[in-house]
Amino acid sequence: MVLFDLILGLLLVVLVQKCLSVTDLFGAVISFMAFGLLMAVAWVRLEAPDIALAEAAIGSGLTGALLFSTLGRLPHSEARQPIASRTVGSGPGYWLAAGFWWVSIMLLSVAFFLSLLELQAPGLGGYLQERLSESGVLNPVTAVLLNFRSLDTVMEIAVLLLAVAVVWSLGTVGWPAKQKLSLPLLVGLVRLLTPVFLLVAFSLLWRGNHAPGGAFPSGAVLAAASILLLLAGKTIRIYPLTMFWLRWVLAAGLLVFVLAGMSLMFAGYGFLVYPEQWAGTMILIIEVSAGVSIGAMLMALYIGGEPDFHAG
Amino acid sequence: MTTLYLVLVGVLMGNIAIGLIRILRGPTVADRMLAAEFFGTVTVAIILLLAIAMDKSVYYDVALVFALLSALAVVAFVTRGWPDRKSGEQEDERG
Repeated sequence: MVLFDLILGLLLVVLVQKCLSVTDLFGAVISFMAFGLLMAVAWVRLEAPDIALAEAAIGSGLTGALLFSTLGRLPHSEARQPIASRTVGSGPGYWLAAGFWWVSIMLLSVAFFLSLLELQAPGLGGYLQERLSESGVLNPVTAVLLNFRSLDTVMEIAVLLLAVAVVWSLGTVGWPAKQKLSLPLLVGLVRLLTPVFLLVAFSLLWRGNHAPGGAFPSGAVLAAASILLLLAGKTIRIYPLTMFWLRWVLAAGLLVFVLAGMSLMFAGYGFLVYPEQWAGTMILIIEVSAGVSIGAMLMALYIGGEPDFHAG
Repeated sequence: MTTLYLVLVGVLMGNIAIGLIRILRGPTVADRMLAAEFFGTVTVAIILLLAIAMDKSVYYDVALVFALLSALAVVAFVTRGWPDRKSGEQEDERG
Protein backbone atom coordinates (compact mmCIF):
# COMPACT_ATOMS: atom_id res chain seq x y z
CA MET A 1 0.00 0.00 0.00
CA VAL A 2 2.94 2.34 0.66
CA LEU A 3 3.95 1.89 -2.98
CA PHE A 4 0.44 2.84 -4.12
CA ASP A 5 0.52 5.97 -1.98
CA LEU A 6 3.93 6.93 -3.34
CA ILE A 7 2.77 6.57 -6.95
CA LEU A 8 -0.37 8.57 -6.13
CA GLY A 9 1.68 11.35 -4.55
CA LEU A 10 4.07 11.44 -7.47
CA LEU A 11 1.23 11.62 -10.02
CA LEU A 12 -0.34 14.47 -8.06
CA VAL A 13 2.91 16.40 -8.12
CA VAL A 14 3.31 15.85 -11.87
CA LEU A 15 -0.24 17.07 -12.49
CA VAL A 16 0.21 20.17 -10.33
CA GLN A 17 3.42 20.99 -12.15
CA LYS A 18 1.65 20.64 -15.50
CA CYS A 19 -1.31 22.67 -14.29
CA LEU A 20 0.84 25.57 -13.07
CA SER A 21 3.33 25.75 -15.92
CA VAL A 22 0.60 26.71 -18.37
CA THR A 23 1.69 26.74 -21.95
CA ASP A 24 -1.83 26.17 -23.22
CA LEU A 25 -4.99 26.84 -21.26
CA PHE A 26 -6.80 23.69 -22.30
CA GLY A 27 -3.99 21.48 -21.04
CA ALA A 28 -4.03 23.33 -17.73
CA VAL A 29 -7.79 22.84 -17.33
CA ILE A 30 -7.56 19.13 -18.13
CA SER A 31 -4.65 18.70 -15.71
CA PHE A 32 -6.63 20.49 -13.03
CA MET A 33 -9.58 18.13 -13.51
CA ALA A 34 -7.34 15.05 -13.42
CA PHE A 35 -5.70 16.48 -10.31
CA GLY A 36 -9.13 16.81 -8.66
CA LEU A 37 -9.93 13.17 -9.46
CA LEU A 38 -6.67 11.84 -8.02
CA MET A 39 -6.88 14.18 -5.03
CA ALA A 40 -10.20 12.56 -4.11
CA VAL A 41 -8.49 9.15 -4.19
CA ALA A 42 -5.84 10.59 -1.90
CA TRP A 43 -8.54 11.75 0.53
CA VAL A 44 -10.06 8.26 0.42
CA ARG A 45 -6.64 6.81 1.28
CA LEU A 46 -6.37 9.29 4.17
CA GLU A 47 -9.78 8.04 5.36
CA ALA A 48 -11.46 11.43 5.10
CA PRO A 49 -14.71 10.58 3.27
CA ASP A 50 -16.30 14.00 3.85
CA ILE A 51 -13.49 15.83 2.11
CA ALA A 52 -13.39 13.17 -0.63
CA LEU A 53 -17.09 13.82 -1.30
CA ALA A 54 -16.59 17.58 -1.45
CA GLU A 55 -13.54 17.18 -3.71
CA ALA A 56 -15.42 14.79 -6.02
CA ALA A 57 -18.39 17.13 -6.31
CA ILE A 58 -16.76 20.56 -6.35
CA GLY A 59 -13.09 19.99 -7.16
CA SER A 60 -13.37 18.04 -10.38
CA GLY A 61 -17.02 18.20 -11.47
CA LEU A 62 -18.28 21.74 -10.95
CA THR A 63 -14.96 23.51 -11.32
CA GLY A 64 -14.22 21.54 -14.49
CA ALA A 65 -17.54 22.62 -16.01
CA LEU A 66 -16.94 26.20 -14.94
CA LEU A 67 -13.45 26.29 -16.46
CA PHE A 68 -14.65 24.74 -19.73
CA SER A 69 -17.39 27.32 -20.05
CA THR A 70 -14.84 30.05 -19.37
CA LEU A 71 -12.61 28.63 -22.13
CA GLY A 72 -15.61 28.58 -24.46
CA ARG A 73 -16.25 32.28 -23.81
CA LEU A 74 -12.71 33.33 -24.60
CA PRO A 75 -12.01 34.35 -28.19
CA HIS A 76 -10.98 31.32 -30.22
CA SER A 77 -7.36 32.26 -30.87
CA GLU A 78 -6.76 33.46 -27.33
CA ALA A 79 -7.93 30.19 -25.79
CA ARG A 80 -5.70 28.07 -27.99
CA GLN A 81 -2.55 30.11 -28.06
CA PRO A 82 0.30 29.37 -25.71
CA ILE A 83 0.60 32.07 -23.07
CA ALA A 84 4.37 32.17 -23.06
CA SER A 85 7.03 30.16 -24.75
CA ARG A 86 8.89 27.80 -22.48
CA THR A 87 12.39 28.91 -21.68
CA VAL A 88 14.94 26.16 -21.40
CA GLY A 89 18.26 26.23 -19.62
CA SER A 90 18.24 29.55 -17.81
CA GLY A 91 16.08 32.45 -16.74
CA PRO A 92 13.48 32.67 -13.96
CA GLY A 93 11.27 29.97 -15.56
CA TYR A 94 14.03 27.40 -15.26
CA TRP A 95 14.75 28.23 -11.63
CA LEU A 96 11.04 28.19 -10.78
CA ALA A 97 10.69 24.72 -12.30
CA ALA A 98 13.83 23.46 -10.61
CA GLY A 99 12.70 24.89 -7.26
CA PHE A 100 9.27 23.34 -7.67
CA TRP A 101 10.69 19.87 -8.25
CA TRP A 102 13.23 20.24 -5.45
CA VAL A 103 10.61 21.30 -2.88
CA SER A 104 8.11 18.64 -3.92
CA ILE A 105 10.69 15.85 -3.85
CA MET A 106 11.80 16.99 -0.39
CA LEU A 107 8.19 17.10 0.85
CA LEU A 108 7.41 13.67 -0.63
CA SER A 109 10.45 12.09 1.01
CA VAL A 110 9.65 13.72 4.37
CA ALA A 111 6.08 12.40 4.08
CA PHE A 112 7.44 8.97 3.19
CA PHE A 113 9.71 8.80 6.25
CA LEU A 114 6.95 10.13 8.50
CA SER A 115 4.68 7.36 7.25
CA LEU A 116 7.27 4.81 8.41
CA LEU A 117 7.12 6.13 11.97
CA GLU A 118 4.08 5.29 14.07
CA LEU A 119 3.05 8.77 15.13
CA GLN A 120 0.41 9.52 17.74
CA ALA A 121 -2.68 10.99 16.08
CA PRO A 122 -2.91 14.53 17.45
CA GLY A 123 -5.92 16.80 17.41
CA LEU A 124 -9.31 17.14 18.98
CA GLY A 125 -10.83 13.85 17.80
CA GLY A 126 -10.96 12.39 21.30
CA TYR A 127 -12.79 15.36 22.84
CA LEU A 128 -15.20 15.38 19.92
CA GLN A 129 -16.12 11.70 20.36
CA GLU A 130 -16.70 12.32 24.09
CA ARG A 131 -19.18 15.13 23.48
CA LEU A 132 -20.80 13.78 20.30
CA SER A 133 -23.93 12.72 22.17
CA GLU A 134 -24.63 16.37 23.11
CA SER A 135 -24.60 17.53 19.51
CA GLY A 136 -27.86 15.92 18.32
CA VAL A 137 -26.22 14.20 15.31
CA LEU A 138 -24.17 11.03 14.93
CA ASN A 139 -21.64 12.17 12.32
CA PRO A 140 -18.70 13.99 13.96
CA VAL A 141 -18.07 16.23 10.92
CA THR A 142 -21.68 17.45 10.85
CA ALA A 143 -21.50 17.96 14.61
CA VAL A 144 -18.53 20.28 14.17
CA LEU A 145 -19.91 22.09 11.12
CA LEU A 146 -23.42 22.75 12.37
CA ASN A 147 -23.16 22.65 16.14
CA PHE A 148 -19.80 23.19 17.79
CA ARG A 149 -18.38 25.54 15.15
CA SER A 150 -21.61 26.61 13.46
CA LEU A 151 -20.52 30.26 13.38
CA ASP A 152 -17.85 29.31 10.81
CA THR A 153 -20.48 27.68 8.62
CA VAL A 154 -22.70 30.80 8.83
CA MET A 155 -19.77 32.83 7.59
CA GLU A 156 -19.04 30.39 4.75
CA ILE A 157 -22.62 30.65 3.51
CA ALA A 158 -22.48 34.44 3.87
CA VAL A 159 -19.28 34.55 1.77
CA LEU A 160 -20.93 32.43 -0.92
CA LEU A 161 -23.97 34.73 -0.97
CA LEU A 162 -21.69 37.75 -1.18
CA ALA A 163 -19.88 36.17 -4.13
CA VAL A 164 -23.22 35.68 -5.91
CA ALA A 165 -24.16 39.30 -5.25
CA VAL A 166 -20.83 40.51 -6.67
CA VAL A 167 -21.04 38.27 -9.77
CA TRP A 168 -24.62 39.32 -10.47
CA SER A 169 -23.75 42.98 -10.08
CA LEU A 170 -21.11 42.65 -12.82
CA GLY A 171 -23.69 42.37 -15.56
CA THR A 172 -26.62 40.52 -17.01
CA VAL A 173 -26.76 37.32 -19.01
CA GLY A 174 -29.27 36.78 -21.77
CA TRP A 175 -31.95 34.30 -20.76
CA PRO A 176 -32.79 31.68 -21.98
CA ALA A 177 -29.21 30.94 -23.02
CA LYS A 178 -28.64 30.45 -26.73
CA GLN A 179 -27.76 26.92 -27.77
CA LYS A 180 -25.26 26.72 -30.59
CA LEU A 181 -25.40 22.95 -31.10
CA SER A 182 -28.40 20.66 -31.15
CA LEU A 183 -27.51 17.36 -29.53
CA PRO A 184 -30.45 14.92 -29.22
CA LEU A 185 -28.33 12.42 -27.31
CA LEU A 186 -27.49 15.03 -24.70
CA VAL A 187 -31.15 15.87 -24.12
CA GLY A 188 -31.96 12.19 -23.61
CA LEU A 189 -29.02 11.74 -21.24
CA VAL A 190 -30.05 14.73 -19.17
CA ARG A 191 -33.62 13.45 -19.01
CA LEU A 192 -32.34 10.14 -17.61
CA LEU A 193 -29.77 11.63 -15.23
CA THR A 194 -31.66 14.51 -13.62
CA PRO A 195 -33.86 12.34 -11.34
CA VAL A 196 -30.76 10.40 -10.26
CA PHE A 197 -28.96 13.64 -9.42
CA LEU A 198 -31.92 14.83 -7.35
CA LEU A 199 -32.16 11.49 -5.54
CA VAL A 200 -28.45 11.49 -4.70
CA ALA A 201 -28.54 15.13 -3.59
CA PHE A 202 -31.37 14.58 -1.14
CA SER A 203 -29.99 11.28 0.10
CA LEU A 204 -26.67 13.02 0.85
CA LEU A 205 -28.57 15.74 2.67
CA TRP A 206 -30.52 13.25 4.74
CA ARG A 207 -27.47 11.11 5.52
CA GLY A 208 -25.62 14.14 6.82
CA ASN A 209 -26.62 13.57 10.43
CA HIS A 210 -25.28 10.02 10.71
CA ALA A 211 -22.78 9.58 7.86
CA PRO A 212 -20.58 11.71 5.59
CA GLY A 213 -22.67 13.97 3.40
CA GLY A 214 -24.51 17.09 4.40
CA ALA A 215 -25.25 20.48 2.96
CA PHE A 216 -22.17 21.27 0.89
CA PRO A 217 -21.82 18.06 -1.21
CA SER A 218 -25.58 17.88 -1.60
CA GLY A 219 -25.75 21.49 -2.76
CA ALA A 220 -22.96 20.79 -5.22
CA VAL A 221 -24.81 17.80 -6.70
CA LEU A 222 -27.99 19.92 -6.98
CA ALA A 223 -26.05 22.65 -8.75
CA ALA A 224 -24.51 20.04 -11.06
CA ALA A 225 -27.99 18.84 -12.02
CA SER A 226 -29.14 22.35 -12.87
CA ILE A 227 -25.95 23.12 -14.82
CA LEU A 228 -26.50 19.91 -16.80
CA LEU A 229 -30.03 21.06 -17.64
CA LEU A 230 -28.66 24.46 -18.60
CA LEU A 231 -26.00 22.98 -20.89
CA ALA A 232 -28.57 20.75 -22.59
CA GLY A 233 -30.69 23.82 -23.30
CA LYS A 234 -33.52 22.71 -21.03
CA THR A 235 -34.03 26.03 -19.29
CA ILE A 236 -37.19 27.47 -17.88
CA ARG A 237 -38.66 30.80 -18.85
CA ILE A 238 -38.05 33.39 -16.15
CA TYR A 239 -40.72 35.86 -15.05
CA PRO A 240 -40.32 38.69 -12.53
CA LEU A 241 -42.07 36.52 -9.94
CA THR A 242 -39.56 33.70 -10.53
CA MET A 243 -36.71 36.11 -9.86
CA PHE A 244 -38.43 37.19 -6.65
CA TRP A 245 -38.59 33.59 -5.41
CA LEU A 246 -35.09 32.82 -6.68
CA ARG A 247 -33.69 35.63 -4.54
CA TRP A 248 -35.44 34.21 -1.49
CA VAL A 249 -34.06 30.73 -2.22
CA LEU A 250 -30.56 32.18 -2.62
CA ALA A 251 -30.81 33.91 0.74
CA ALA A 252 -32.69 31.09 2.50
CA GLY A 253 -29.64 29.28 3.87
CA LEU A 254 -28.22 32.36 5.56
CA LEU A 255 -31.65 33.64 6.67
CA VAL A 256 -32.67 30.38 8.36
CA PHE A 257 -29.27 30.08 10.01
CA VAL A 258 -29.29 33.62 11.38
CA LEU A 259 -32.96 33.48 12.40
CA ALA A 260 -32.33 30.24 14.29
CA GLY A 261 -29.37 31.81 16.03
CA MET A 262 -31.27 34.98 16.93
CA SER A 263 -34.32 33.13 18.24
CA LEU A 264 -32.07 30.96 20.40
CA MET A 265 -30.43 34.13 21.68
CA PHE A 266 -33.80 35.62 22.66
CA ALA A 267 -34.77 32.32 24.32
CA GLY A 268 -31.73 32.79 26.54
CA TYR A 269 -29.33 30.19 25.14
CA GLY A 270 -26.87 32.33 23.19
CA PHE A 271 -26.22 32.65 19.46
CA LEU A 272 -26.51 29.16 17.88
CA VAL A 273 -26.21 27.33 21.19
CA TYR A 274 -28.80 24.62 20.76
CA PRO A 275 -30.71 23.17 23.71
CA GLU A 276 -29.90 19.47 23.78
CA GLN A 277 -33.38 18.08 23.09
CA TRP A 278 -33.92 20.35 20.06
CA ALA A 279 -30.44 20.10 18.55
CA GLY A 280 -31.21 17.31 16.07
CA THR A 281 -34.33 18.99 14.66
CA MET A 282 -32.74 22.41 14.36
CA ILE A 283 -29.66 21.00 12.63
CA LEU A 284 -31.90 19.15 10.16
CA ILE A 285 -33.87 22.32 9.30
CA ILE A 286 -30.72 24.41 8.93
CA GLU A 287 -29.02 21.72 6.87
CA VAL A 288 -31.92 21.31 4.42
CA SER A 289 -32.28 25.05 3.84
CA ALA A 290 -28.51 25.47 3.55
CA GLY A 291 -28.23 22.58 1.07
CA VAL A 292 -30.94 23.90 -1.27
CA SER A 293 -29.59 27.41 -0.95
CA ILE A 294 -25.99 26.34 -1.67
CA GLY A 295 -27.20 24.50 -4.78
CA ALA A 296 -28.96 27.65 -6.00
CA MET A 297 -25.95 29.84 -5.19
CA LEU A 298 -23.48 27.61 -7.04
CA MET A 299 -25.78 27.61 -10.05
CA ALA A 300 -26.14 31.39 -9.87
CA LEU A 301 -22.34 31.69 -9.80
CA TYR A 302 -22.09 29.41 -12.82
CA ILE A 303 -24.51 31.54 -14.85
CA GLY A 304 -22.07 34.39 -14.32
CA GLY A 305 -24.49 37.30 -14.19
CA GLU A 306 -28.02 38.25 -13.36
CA PRO A 307 -30.42 36.45 -15.74
CA ASP A 308 -31.97 39.04 -18.04
CA PHE A 309 -35.41 37.68 -18.84
CA HIS A 310 -36.39 40.63 -21.04
CA ALA A 311 -33.94 39.46 -23.70
CA GLY A 312 -35.46 36.00 -24.10
CA MET B 1 -9.55 -11.75 -1.37
CA THR B 2 -8.28 -8.41 -0.05
CA THR B 3 -4.88 -9.02 -1.59
CA LEU B 4 -6.49 -9.54 -4.98
CA TYR B 5 -8.34 -6.22 -4.66
CA LEU B 6 -5.19 -4.39 -3.70
CA VAL B 7 -3.31 -5.88 -6.64
CA LEU B 8 -6.16 -4.76 -8.90
CA VAL B 9 -5.92 -1.26 -7.45
CA GLY B 10 -2.23 -1.29 -8.31
CA VAL B 11 -2.97 -2.35 -11.89
CA LEU B 12 -5.56 0.43 -12.25
CA MET B 13 -3.06 2.93 -10.86
CA GLY B 14 -0.68 1.83 -13.62
CA ASN B 15 -3.49 2.54 -16.10
CA ILE B 16 -3.73 6.07 -14.76
CA ALA B 17 0.02 6.55 -15.03
CA ILE B 18 -0.11 5.52 -18.70
CA GLY B 19 -3.22 7.61 -19.35
CA LEU B 20 -1.28 10.57 -18.02
CA ILE B 21 0.80 10.50 -21.21
CA ARG B 22 -2.32 11.32 -23.26
CA ILE B 23 -3.22 14.13 -20.87
CA LEU B 24 0.22 15.69 -21.03
CA ARG B 25 0.90 15.12 -24.73
CA GLY B 26 -2.48 15.27 -26.42
CA PRO B 27 -2.09 15.80 -29.35
CA THR B 28 -5.72 16.88 -29.91
CA VAL B 29 -8.10 18.28 -27.31
CA ALA B 30 -10.41 15.27 -27.76
CA ASP B 31 -7.58 12.90 -26.79
CA ARG B 32 -7.04 14.86 -23.61
CA MET B 33 -10.72 15.00 -22.76
CA LEU B 34 -11.14 11.26 -23.30
CA ALA B 35 -8.10 10.59 -21.13
CA ALA B 36 -9.65 12.74 -18.39
CA GLU B 37 -12.89 10.78 -18.67
CA PHE B 38 -10.87 7.58 -18.50
CA PHE B 39 -9.30 8.90 -15.31
CA GLY B 40 -12.80 9.39 -13.94
CA THR B 41 -13.87 5.83 -14.73
CA VAL B 42 -10.68 4.31 -13.33
CA THR B 43 -10.96 6.48 -10.22
CA VAL B 44 -14.48 5.20 -9.56
CA ALA B 45 -13.17 1.62 -9.88
CA ILE B 46 -10.24 2.33 -7.54
CA ILE B 47 -12.50 3.90 -4.91
CA LEU B 48 -14.94 0.97 -5.09
CA LEU B 49 -12.10 -1.55 -4.72
CA LEU B 50 -10.63 0.42 -1.81
CA ALA B 51 -14.08 0.54 -0.20
CA ILE B 52 -14.33 -3.25 -0.36
CA ALA B 53 -10.73 -3.78 0.73
CA MET B 54 -10.99 -1.41 3.71
CA ASP B 55 -14.55 -2.57 4.43
CA LYS B 56 -15.94 0.96 4.55
CA SER B 57 -19.32 1.31 2.86
CA VAL B 58 -19.11 5.12 3.13
CA TYR B 59 -16.88 5.27 0.07
CA TYR B 60 -19.60 3.84 -2.17
CA ASP B 61 -21.21 7.29 -1.91
CA VAL B 62 -18.00 8.97 -2.98
CA ALA B 63 -17.86 6.68 -6.02
CA LEU B 64 -21.51 7.44 -6.81
CA VAL B 65 -20.98 11.20 -6.71
CA PHE B 66 -17.87 10.77 -8.87
CA ALA B 67 -19.71 8.75 -11.48
CA LEU B 68 -22.48 11.36 -11.69
CA LEU B 69 -20.21 14.38 -11.78
CA SER B 70 -17.89 13.00 -14.45
CA ALA B 71 -20.83 13.27 -16.86
CA LEU B 72 -20.96 17.00 -16.17
CA ALA B 73 -17.38 17.66 -17.26
CA VAL B 74 -17.74 15.96 -20.63
CA VAL B 75 -21.06 17.69 -21.33
CA ALA B 76 -19.50 21.04 -20.50
CA PHE B 77 -16.61 20.20 -22.83
CA VAL B 78 -18.86 19.22 -25.73
CA THR B 79 -21.24 22.16 -25.47
CA ARG B 80 -18.82 24.93 -24.49
CA GLY B 81 -15.20 23.92 -24.93
CA TRP B 82 -15.39 22.11 -28.28
CA PRO B 83 -13.51 24.07 -30.94
CA ASP B 84 -15.75 25.70 -33.51
CA ARG B 85 -15.48 23.70 -36.76
CA LYS B 86 -16.31 26.58 -39.06
CA SER B 87 -13.73 29.10 -37.94
CA GLY B 88 -10.91 27.00 -36.52
CA GLU B 89 -8.35 25.21 -38.63
CA GLN B 90 -7.42 21.65 -37.86
CA GLU B 91 -3.88 22.76 -37.01
CA ASP B 92 -5.26 25.01 -34.33
CA GLU B 93 -6.26 22.11 -32.18
CA ARG B 94 -2.77 20.75 -31.88
CA GLY B 95 -1.07 21.72 -28.71
